[in-house]
Amino acid sequence: MAAHGENVLMAKFTLDLFRYDEKVDDVPHRDRVEIDFPETSTVLDALEYAKAEVDGTISFRRSCRSAICGSCSMNINGVTGLACKTPINTVMRDDRSVKVDPMPNFEVMKDMVVHMDPFWDKYSRLKPYLQPADRDEDHERERRVSPEDMKKLVAVANCVMCATCYALCPVISVDPSFAGPAAIAYAYRFIEDVRDSKRKERVGQISDDYLWLCAHCYACSYCPKHVEPQDDIIALKRISIEEGFTGAGPRHALVVSKTIRQSGMLNENEVIVGTVGKFNFKGLLKIMPLGLRMAAKGKVPPLFLKPVENVNEIRMIYDALEVPVG
Amino acid sequence: MAMTITAPKRRSKSAETKRYGFFPGCVAKESCTELFNSTLLLADKLGIELIELTAASCCGASVLNDVNRDVARVLNARTYAQAEALGLDDVITICSTCTGHMRAANKELLENESQMEQANSILGKFGASYKGSVSVRHLLWLLIDDIGLDRLKSMVVNPLNGLKVAPFYGCHIIRPESVNGWESSRNPHSLEDLIEALGGEAIDYAGKTRCCGFHIQLEKDGVATNMVGQNMRIAKDLGAEAVLTPCPLCHLALDGYQADSAARWGRTDLPTFHLPQLVALALGVDATQLGMKRHVISPGPILQAHDLAPMHVA
Repeated sequence: MAAHGENVLMAKFTLDLFRYDEKVDDVPHRDRVEIDFPETSTVLDALEYAKAEVDGTISFRRSCRSAICGSCSMNINGVTGLACKTPINTVMRDDRSVKVDPMPNFEVMKDMVVHMDPFWDKYSRLKPYLQPADRDEDHERERRVSPEDMKKLVAVANCVMCATCYALCPVISVDPSFAGPAAIAYAYRFIEDVRDSKRKERVGQISDDYLWLCAHCYACSYCPKHVEPQDDIIALKRISIEEGFTGAGPRHALVVSKTIRQSGMLNENEVIVGTVGKFNFKGLLKIMPLGLRMAAKGKVPPLFLKPVENVNEIRMIYDALEVPVG
Repeated sequence: MAMTITAPKRRSKSAETKRYGFFPGCVAKESCTELFNSTLLLADKLGIELIELTAASCCGASVLNDVNRDVARVLNARTYAQAEALGLDDVITICSTCTGHMRAANKELLENESQMEQANSILGKFGASYKGSVSVRHLLWLLIDDIGLDRLKSMVVNPLNGLKVAPFYGCHIIRPESVNGWESSRNPHSLEDLIEALGGEAIDYAGKTRCCGFHIQLEKDGVATNMVGQNMRIAKDLGAEAVLTPCPLCHLALDGYQADSAARWGRTDLPTFHLPQLVALALGVDATQLGMKRHVISPGPILQAHDLAPMHVA
């Protein structure tokens, strides 16, 4: 029987920590810190304990400890999320260790602390504040929003800018010019705000910042605050088409739409040519090597696609919904 | 004494054979016909009947949502109405993107009365209706839930002989979890289990749940190529000899782009199998029928090295 006052939940385990100081180290190394700590607590609690009791140089960002400040996003056993929202016993590995690394897709400053500048830069570019048409004339006036209009903005309002989505984004990992999920969600937040007056500029700006480079992978669906940035990205693409943005992305979506209306099927040949641009010889030349590699193996989509049965029904659906086609 | 010998009563083929609605998707009917053909060969081997929904349209391929919020859902409702009319509750897909987007459409229809009403009011114009009885499942899930790993294991006649295979799931069969949810999207292991059941060695690596970049390959130079290279590099460094994917879009990207990604990521040249190709091969389907000559990166050398098939089949 446990003696009076003894904490029966205490458990020995190891924090397997990424260690690196950009000012001192050439390469990162790992430290294994053994602690005796309640495993029903959070990973952040364990890190705070290790810093206080074992090694004061362990570095990580934290503030609120309750998933509202967005400071403590890090990679825990390969999964990026908020350390304050991750119970230790849900991530404990078979060898009783928890592996902690900094967020991917960022330069490391020290241990789990990363340089957040690219994330903030992309956010600042959006002019992330309301710009009402009469801003200069009337600062004091109350600007009302109906509950119906507010609904669209509620999910984004939960964003704590922890950058988890940015760290998880596979496009950012190979091309940092992409705005990333959080910035796009914020762009959506202002574009869909009825009080704002800069809709067209904002749509143009985010479209230029590679809105259409989103790869539809839904990695940002792991948002710890359930913002679901992937839904905002899709909504913003529709708005981008409505506002007349042109580029490979809108061309692609519209030609896919067109070929499905024609035959019921996505016509691969037509989509490739339609996306690159029929008269974009330079672009077409660029995709030639892949085309030839595939053609050499007989991997060529049919030139003429037989429409699916009752294809007229598909046209009726398109007409009923007034679907745009390229 | 007269003896009467009665032959065991044979059930008719239709009573024995489980029937499934089959949605091959566009790519399996266009550039990846080897996937379509090997699916049918595998079904035959497994004794299941796949009834192709020949009037079905494209699922929307994740792109149609970018032009209109309703059209993909209504197109898919039309496909489900066909399955229902044929008395089929299961719609089996062979593409991760079809799986995710058809399931998403179905979820919306079943959870949102106004969206179901909207769909049915349009389907009504041509005399169709969807009652909501269909469930969309990938062939991978059918293999594991309906056939079972143990039975598959017992059917293996051409074991993979330790072939080191890296699984590549394809985003839309696992994410978002609220839509798919058949297994953990963070750490799925169905493909690994399958690879092991067939006698191969599964390579667990960080790239297995990542994105192949297919949907943006024409958007900006080099992005999809680098996404392919990045993931294949990790797999190769962990000893993978081949890749297995349940998605023809991933197949197109992985098979097609490794040559281009070599400049930045080094040569990987990992041959990529469609899910039914590798299962059919292990279950003894004639390797020459599996369309592997159509792959850009030939699996011939590794098939020969592991004594699975002669080089010339691919």
